[in-house]
Amino acid sequence: MMYESRFETDERFERETVGSIERTTAYETNEADGPTYKTGTTIVALAAADGVVMGADKRMSLGGRFTASKDVEKLSQVHSTATMAISGAVGPAQQLLDSLQAEASLYRTRHGEPMSMKALSKTTGHLVRGLPVQPLLGGVDETGGHVFELDGSGSVIEDSYAAGGSGMQTAYGLLEGRMEPQLSVSEATDVATDAVLAASERDTASGNGVTIATITREGVQIGDVTDMNGGAS
Amino acid sequence: MEPNNQQAYDRGSTIFSPDGRLYQVEYAREAVERGGPTVGVTTEDSVVFASYGNARSSLVVPESIEKLRDIDGQLGIATAGHVADGRRLVEYGRRFAHQEQLRYDEQPGVETVSKALADFVQESTQVGGTRPFGAAVLVGGFVETPRLYGVDPSGTPTEWAATAIGKDSGDIRESLEAEYETGLDEHSGLKVAVRALASEDRELTSETLDVAVTRESGFEPFGSEKQETLLEETEF
Repeated sequence: MMYESRFETDERFERETVGSIERTTAYETNEADGPTYKTGTTIVALAAADGVVMGADKRMSLGGRFTASKDVEKLSQVHSTATMAISGAVGPAQQLLDSLQAEASLYRTRHGEPMSMKALSKTTGHLVRGLPVQPLLGGVDETGGHVFELDGSGSVIEDSYAAGGSGMQTAYGLLEGRMEPQLSVSEATDVATDAVLAASERDTASGNGVTIATITREGVQIGDVTDMNGGAS
Repeated sequence: MEPNNQQAYDRGSTIFSPDGRLYQVEYAREAVERGGPTVGVTTEDSVVFASYGNARSSLVVPESIEKLRDIDGQLGIATAGHVADGRRLVEYGRRFAHQEQLRYDEQPGVETVSKALADFVQESTQVGGTRPFGAAVLVGGFVETPRLYGVDPSGTPTEWAATAIGKDSGDIRESLEAEYETGLDEHSGLKVAVRALASEDRELTSETLDVAVTRESGFEPFGSEKQETLLEETEF
């Protein structure tokens, strides 16, 4: 019975091809009385030759029309060599991050080694199911760099590069032209930065700067890209 | 219906003996005394653990005998006694520590985790249909300051500067009492722990010895190389 009703609710979390961030989900209408903070967001992830590079803007918006925060960290380390980028509703995304960090840490203490990217992406798929969140997951394990796109229906899709959030069309446009297999980490960093900057120029719900995460076998480094106007328009 | 209650207080753990003792809990302590010993020593900036475990057969893979374990990357836990019971306590400690981190976004302290374990162990001495845990644990780590706790099968938590659980724990503790000083550095703490653990019927080799240190930076199990170096320095 419970399983059937889960299937019924799934329609509400179907992937939309355009502006998936702006949709109204049952989660929001039933559980939140007031307006919900959305990331708006442009996030990107690229597999490079010896790692993964992820990028995000820093704007959080209300209804896509008001900038509720200009300094949001959308990239978070979830594992010794993995990072998640969030788009969608902020509250559920933060819950998802906390739960994923706890699951990855429990796995490491129980198994004595960190999760593989396959195990980590599967776990993220279980946790994100039912949440109005569309994260990207990037990380490195002994099989190399991996990029996954996920959504609230629980889908886990691996790709060599991906974009998410309300700025994804602009970001994808740039990625299609610039993405190549076997980019170096520094080349991939430039591509990711430019993709977020391009989307920040045209998407009203993205902007206020760029955060970049580089993930290699040695670990995760997350930092703001300075020396730019950050698409503050 | 011949009343056969002579030994009743010796059976169910929830039953007091006429002189106020819980025999099942005392038997559980005996089970702990049969387990391979583990020493825990607090130093000025860490807690060090040293364990002795001897494989009952040369065919057992030594690495599969786990004595010292990681709770959450920060705290370490050691068990002595019934291995199966000890594993249950380790898993409980791990779950509890991760739940605390999830709930408060704070690293749980040694005292918090130890007292949660103590409550869990105590429950088994009072709830119907259960038996006490035949295992004791040591929980140690650096959270603001280095601390070491022991929990025995009665569910009593005790904080120690240095202590031992398992076989010959009384003798080992005597040696610790003689050798321990406050403010030891980590290296001296390791030597004190290994010297206290050594005895005529315990040959310390990199296979029988297991060493781990918990510092501010987290839990670090020693590999066989580091253990061998330590044994050389301690002259075993």
